[in-house]
Amino acid sequence: MLDILVLRGIIAVFLISAVSATVGSFSIFRGSTFFVSGIAHGALAGAALGIFIALTFFTVDYLVVALLFAILFALAIGYASHRNENVDVAVGIMFAVSMSLAVLFLSMIREYASVAWGLIIGDILLLSQADIEILVVSVTFIVLIFLIFFRKFLYVVFDSESAEASGLHVFRYETLLFILMAVGVVSLLKCVGAILVYALLIIPAAAARRAFPTVEGTIAGAFIIALVSGLFGIGMSFVVNVAPSSMAGLFAAGVYALTLFRK
Amino acid sequence: MPAISTENLTVQYGDYYALENLSVEIEHPSLVVIMGPNGAGKTTFLKALLGLITYSGKIRIFNKPPQEARELIGYLPQRDTINMNVPLRVKDVLLLPLTSRSLSIKKEYVSLAKQNLSRVGMAEHWNSKFGALSGGQQQRVLFARALMTNPKILILDEPFSATDVKTKMSLINMLHQLKKEMTILIVLHDINPMVECTDRVLLLNKKLIAYGQVSEVINEENMAKLYGTHIPVIQRGNVCYVMGGDRHA
Repeated sequence: MLDILVLRGIIAVFLISAVSATVGSFSIFRGSTFFVSGIAHGALAGAALGIFIALTFFTVDYLVVALLFAILFALAIGYASHRNENVDVAVGIMFAVSMSLAVLFLSMIREYASVAWGLIIGDILLLSQADIEILVVSVTFIVLIFLIFFRKFLYVVFDSESAEASGLHVFRYETLLFILMAVGVVSLLKCVGAILVYALLIIPAAAARRAFPTVEGTIAGAFIIALVSGLFGIGMSFVVNVAPSSMAGLFAAGVYALTLFRK
Repeated sequence: MPAISTENLTVQYGDYYALENLSVEIEHPSLVVIMGPNGAGKTTFLKALLGLITYSGKIRIFNKPPQEARELIGYLPQRDTINMNVPLRVKDVLLLPLTSRSLSIKKEYVSLAKQNLSRVGMAEHWNSKFGALSGGQQQRVLFARALMTNPKILILDEPFSATDVKTKMSLINMLHQLKKEMTILIVLHDINPMVECTDRVLLLNKKLIAYGQVSEVINEENMAKLYGTHIPVIQRGNVCYVMGGDRHA
């Protein structure tokens, strides 16, 4: 039983690394890393709402509601940004709204609140077969969309004005990018939790951007750093008996710290 | 057929008019310098031509509305609109306008990019990191990028910012060649380096102040209308020089 859980954990680390390489790198390129944190908390509110709906009205997977909530928040932030609002301000407001809603919904599902709270910490060694299947589908979706629109995303993020002038629909691509970030964050919630999703999505890409300062280098480097961090986390969890994501986050942060010393 | 024509072009942000009833015809090929004080609507005018903002009135670019004429225009934005967080190499910057439209990088795109990079004297920087270049070098790369789609119209928003005198002169020489086959619109604060290759000057301060040849338009009366203060102008034959340059911009 332990073996299959570890195997699922290792598969999850590979998939998380792909999200870090794509979503994480573009969050760094776009300078919207706070967005990832905001979306993670928005998803938490969605999960709490999903549990409330399941308890009160009809059966629904709370992760689906979390995903819908995260996408809704991403669209709201994208729209505010399109209306010339600073993205950080928009994320800050949505962050406050989502945490208010999370507290409200959690107070309505007191006995089951622990399920939603579990999404704050997550555990990569407690994933079910269904969790892995959901992860495979969502990561495949993310990677596929990135492969198809990679150069359009790059142009829009690098020079949105010229991209728009050349005929690219910047608002559409920015919105798609925000949606991919939302899907990426929610798909990682059960593995690493809302707090540490930031550690495994952003830190590897930030470190890779410093160590390998090209677009391809950042993407490949983010994948490798996230992969090694995740595997290190799983390995260390057997040695010191702590949550793998905490060890993975610390390892990734250590790699980032090393890149600060690079000339 | 004029390259660009506008009729009663007006751009409004809430109650604020950034441009009012601008009607102008720009011949093809020609080089037109757009001058005006800060907040005069120069960049707004360019953005309207590029179809980036909503406007009232009429714009025709080779008889097409801006949204249908985008492939005809090469654009060099102000450098502060570029996101330096993206660690692109020079070759990536040049190829983006073409490769963002297709899934693969074709050989002809690469040879066109190398050719344009050579034109701006940056051939040796093909593999350099864009963010590691100086401001003037970045400006030259962006200039080369504006040529990537073989445009009929080139729109340049303050192309000489951050460039040294040598770079400025080499870009001006290039513009001198390009204006034989293209319509070039340049927003400038200081027209003096460009005076001899400028066909027409458009003086703008939310409304059209004057439009015509350098010798007709650049005079102390129009400068006073434009900047609201006396600015000396020296005239030597057909060439005029505005004394003050950036100080009054």
